[in-house]
Amino acid sequence: MNFTKRVLLYISRKKGKTVSLFLVVFVVAVFLISCFGILNASNRLGKDIRTSVGAAFYIRANTEVSMNENGEAEVKEHNVHISQKEIDEIMQTGDIKYNNPINYGFAKSDRIQFIPGDKHTEENNMGKVTALRFSALASSFADKSAVLTEGTHITETDIGKILISEKLANDNHISVGDTLTLTHAGLSEADGAYVDEIPVKTAYTEVEVSGLYQLNRTDASVKPTACIAENEIYASLDVLNELHESETGIYTGEADFYITDPARLNSIIGNVRAMPSIDWTTHFIRTNDLGYSKISDQLSALGDLVKILLVLVSAVSAAFLILLLTMRMRSRMYEAGILLSAGISKGQIMAGFMLEVLSVAIVALILSYVVSFAVKDYIGQNLFSNLQPNLLNDDTLSAVRMKDGIQIKNYLKLSPIKTLLVYLCQVVVIAASTFVSSIIIMRLKPKEILTKMR
Amino acid sequence: MSIIKTCNIKYSYDRKRIVLNNISVEFDLGKIYAILGPSGCGKTTLLSLLGGLDSPSDGQVLFQGEDIEKKGLAWHRKNNVAFIFQSYNLIDYMTPAENVALTSKLPPLPVLERLGLTKEESRRNILKLSGGQQQRVAIARAVASDAGVILADEPTGNLDESTAIEITNILKECAHSMNKCVIVVTHSTELAKNADVVLKLMKGGLYAWK
Repeated sequence: MNFTKRVLLYISRKKGKTVSLFLVVFVVAVFLISCFGILNASNRLGKDIRTSVGAAFYIRANTEVSMNENGEAEVKEHNVHISQKEIDEIMQTGDIKYNNPINYGFAKSDRIQFIPGDKHTEENNMGKVTALRFSALASSFADKSAVLTEGTHITETDIGKILISEKLANDNHISVGDTLTLTHAGLSEADGAYVDEIPVKTAYTEVEVSGLYQLNRTDASVKPTACIAENEIYASLDVLNELHESETGIYTGEADFYITDPARLNSIIGNVRAMPSIDWTTHFIRTNDLGYSKISDQLSALGDLVKILLVLVSAVSAAFLILLLTMRMRSRMYEAGILLSAGISKGQIMAGFMLEVLSVAIVALILSYVVSFAVKDYIGQNLFSNLQPNLLNDDTLSAVRMKDGIQIKNYLKLSPIKTLLVYLCQVVVIAASTFVSSIIIMRLKPKEILTKMR
Repeated sequence: MSIIKTCNIKYSYDRKRIVLNNISVEFDLGKIYAILGPSGCGKTTLLSLLGGLDSPSDGQVLFQGEDIEKKGLAWHRKNNVAFIFQSYNLIDYMTPAENVALTSKLPPLPVLERLGLTKEESRRNILKLSGGQQQRVAIARAVASDAGVILADEPTGNLDESTAIEITNILKECAHSMNKCVIVVTHSTELAKNADVVLKLMKGGLYAWK
């Protein structure tokens, strides 16, 4: 009888021992793969947050407050003045992934009757235009106070595209895909009334409605028509240029920069501040890495916990496996003695023991691979659902094509090489324990084994 | 010519307590040998040396004139000798037929049948057989291995009187009808009475008794 037949007989007849070995290897494998998956996910999530949405800084204009001769406060607002050349220089300081310069202006359209505000007249029937490169990165969309309900966001490749509020669209029977003609306008106050600073219209542009948004916040009631939030028009950068309200490559609203590594935020800002072309007496930089810091602490704590857990699980699993296999081998001493007395070589006996353990273990490992998907999914949902980056939400990230949202499931998935390595380590531990415990028996003389058996 | 013999073999535990001292003895085919002696005198040790389960401290064991160490003890155990133990030493997850097939290329069922086991018994769980039946399986395994020498260590030690007689008769049949050399270590005077040659081991020496 060859040893493979002996192995088959043992596995099929000693069901209890086979099942117990199978279960131990299976449970250990699921634990290990899940723990490595969590470690992988926490590492990758942390890295991803750091490298994609970790932090941002915004160049904005100072607001100067002074007292006039009558003792009244006077507020003077500066405009940002930053050129594309300066933006390019800032981009070259490294690790900045996206920039979003903004221009502000006002516009009118024959087809739009804006939502009336305070002291509404036909003359001040206008809306604020926010022209930008990525509408999804506008603060209203980033903090979810506004959501896109139809159509698509404006991105850097768009020309002549606008987003308007759903309410404005409904009131004026405008749909996504409609084209409108916009003309320039300017808001000022004269004799207690809001007037159009540009009564003579010389600039017109055709725009297409690429999307509709809905506001999730309530607006202050006493505002001129142009300042009502639902009258705001988000436009591609070219729109205000066409209306002669801005120049190509010059931005007077603000400029937002999204950096890849929050750890470099301070050094990047240092470099930006050192740029002489920007007047820092009228500009300031605001940073935003709060979201990253919060998540980073959570991730770091989780990572440490998982590492400790992993070491514990690995050590306990290895010890348990070694103990189980040693006990199993010791119970086979009787059989080893019989086989030795029958002239079966030590090598064949050991090969039989090894084949027996490994064949059960490999089936358990394969099954554990399948089951670990469900376990990882469950863990992912419960452990990582609160760890989404909150600086920018997934929808926003997808909209600006920065990334396809964060897929926790994918993060929990180990690479084939890592999975193979985990399984290989287990197989090595199993094979080594079997080998060592077999050696303890096999180094005895057959007579000694048979004497011990009595 | 003897099938197996020892030449001045010595055996001691830790080189202090001498168990076997210069023993030279020859065993022939077709005979049943009984080795008697008090407990701890080295009977099982002598059987182990003949069967290649251990090596002597000094001297040689020759099988058909050739030192058994030459081809290796495992080879000797596999091809030249077969063991029958007091505790049967059967593998518990195998049926009687599979236990016999462990060392034999011959079909096991006819051998088992010849030793009194039915086909149904031959396929039953080994632990569900009586002691006598288990010892028959052990003998069948030895017989089927086609080895020239059968070494039996207290083969009737765990059996009742009538079963012991049956087993003794089977061993006699192995020697006389199958032309095997059967060497039995025993305390049983009944078994010794049925042996062709009785040897007594005392104080490290082996003496002819019958």
